[in-house]
Amino acid sequence: MARLSLRGIKKRFKTTDVLHGIDLEIGDREFVVFVGPSGCGKSTLLRLIAGLDPISEGEFFLNDQRMNEVPPSRRGIAMVFQSYALYPHMDVYENMAFGARLMGLTKAEVESRIAEAARMLRLEPLLQRKPRELSGGQRQRVAIGRALVRKPEVFLLDEPLSNLDAALRSEVRLEIAKLHRDIGGTMIYVTHDQVEAMTLADKIVVMNSGRIEQVGSPRELFETPANTFVATFIGSPRMTLVDVTRDGERLAVANGGSVATGAVPDAPKLKLGLRPDAVRLHRGQGSEGLSASVVYTEYLGDNAYVYARLADGTLISARTAPNDLYAPDEAVTVSVEPGSAHYFSAEDGRRLTT
Amino acid sequence: MTGRGLWITALIMPPLAFVALFIVYPIISAFAYAFFDWQGLRRGDFVGLENFHTVLFVEPYRSWTINAFKNNVIVFFALMVLQNGLGFILAYALWRELPGARFHRIAVFLPVVLSTIIVAYLFKLFYHPLFGVVNISLRGIGLDWLAQPWLGQSGTALWSIIIAQAWHMVGFPTLVFLAGMQRIPSEILDAVRMETESEWVKITKIVWPLVAPSATIVFTLLFVGAFNWFELPYIMGGLDGSPFGSTDVLGLYFYRTAFGNVSAGQQDFGLGSALAVLIFIFIALVAGVITTRLRAREIQL
Repeated sequence: MARLSLRGIKKRFKTTDVLHGIDLEIGDREFVVFVGPSGCGKSTLLRLIAGLDPISEGEFFLNDQRMNEVPPSRRGIAMVFQSYALYPHMDVYENMAFGARLMGLTKAEVESRIAEAARMLRLEPLLQRKPRELSGGQRQRVAIGRALVRKPEVFLLDEPLSNLDAALRSEVRLEIAKLHRDIGGTMIYVTHDQVEAMTLADKIVVMNSGRIEQVGSPRELFETPANTFVATFIGSPRMTLVDVTRDGERLAVANGGSVATGAVPDAPKLKLGLRPDAVRLHRGQGSEGLSASVVYTEYLGDNAYVYARLADGTLISARTAPNDLYAPDEAVTVSVEPGSAHYFSAEDGRRLTT
Repeated sequence: MTGRGLWITALIMPPLAFVALFIVYPIISAFAYAFFDWQGLRRGDFVGLENFHTVLFVEPYRSWTINAFKNNVIVFFALMVLQNGLGFILAYALWRELPGARFHRIAVFLPVVLSTIIVAYLFKLFYHPLFGVVNISLRGIGLDWLAQPWLGQSGTALWSIIIAQAWHMVGFPTLVFLAGMQRIPSEILDAVRMETESEWVKITKIVWPLVAPSATIVFTLLFVGAFNWFELPYIMGGLDGSPFGSTDVLGLYFYRTAFGNVSAGQQDFGLGSALAVLIFIFIALVAGVITTRLRAREIQL
């Protein structure tokens, strides 16, 4: 059992505020991903949970026990570091045995736990090797093994895939997902890559400049983003935001025509959010839609993305069939799939419901 | 020869000539001198290993050699603890950024920059039996019985000079260890903190093994320095290693034998060179063994 509860967590470095009051509940066995751009405070938050840095304000509870003053080694938390941080002077076996021995386990218990972790992570042939004799992927597995051996209640993973090449990355991602299913601990995973977040998480915490923007399942974040930040951060290619004014039942772009999108929230001005799937392109200058001119086309084999500029200068992306290609500077008309648009407040960017 | 080759030759020749003339030639000639009988500055007959035999086995040279060598061994082990050991602890404290680390980083290293003469003179004053700061302080806190003529008695003289040396040079191993510690990636330290809160485990199991390259450097240099030790005992104990040879070391003994001293006036280049050669060979051999042994336990970070 491991439930984490963060209440009003703030972190200050000298005079700079890095985290401005984080409230978050994490349930047992959940796979939670902290995602956000560089410098948003996600790694800082992870280090506060680990106990590596002190919490400036607020409280952190693990299973209803206050953890603020508990040293990292007594929190029942293990961490996998971005650089793996293996002890270079110890072989793989010793790297895993070091922490287990310090927990006061018997020799037999240490051995059996290492044997189990080594089997799970396919490390058996590598046990006598030094870290420098291992590849990046192998080091990664040792780092995970070192955490596993301690049987922690909570696993923290700090951008664990960022030092691996692209092919290995998706492979290790699968392994981590499988590991979470097998051992069932609570996992907190930090990344700036929204694809990793979407594929791994039960729950995603989107962060931006020291605040939580939204917490939810990958599907919730994708389908009902709480604000324009989350809307543009999740999903690839990113959602296009268009400034529009209400024109009866239609939405108008400054000197660029108007479009019908279905039911529209009741506000004179708003931001229209369009994912590439919601956009339809029609060749030529039509009257029923927004006029635009094609900038370039990305051909991806099973589909293609067309980027076009609206009359007000906004670059909009649309998904098209792979054989439906457009030439640069070609005039097109944009319409919107009814009911698939998102609406945000023009003032503060918050989601508006219809 | 190509133009590039000419350039390289032209650049290498002057320093090479300098090293040959002022380093290689004196060493080789000292080797040669050791095999001759000397009458003052006049070279006499070739005597083979006679000089070596004299300094090692004939009294009173034999006792002098043994006494000086024994003192060097004491100096080496004492400084290993007081200079390198303390240096490691200081480096660790500085590295962990304990309060005042910025000030102490400079304070610890400052004595290294001081001239040895100044340090020796200062400590001679500190140790003065009547108005030295050491005895005044001891009397001031009621420990009169501890106030000693530190440099004036056989039991305390060598240790007093060793402490002056340790104070003088402790900044050097501190600096080398600190540089070694700063090379340890911070995530490795975080990883240890996730597994233990014991400073002892962190130091012995992680930091110490990872600063092995620094240890190799300071151990080897301390060994060479301890057996070549000369300036401090010369200034604080005098050329005879007073009192009664208790501060005599190989460096002083060699100097006295080769060039004579004020009171005795006797000088013998042959015996002095033999001593110098023996010291050189001893240092080279042991330093070689120390280096290869310690290198083997170093780890690439």
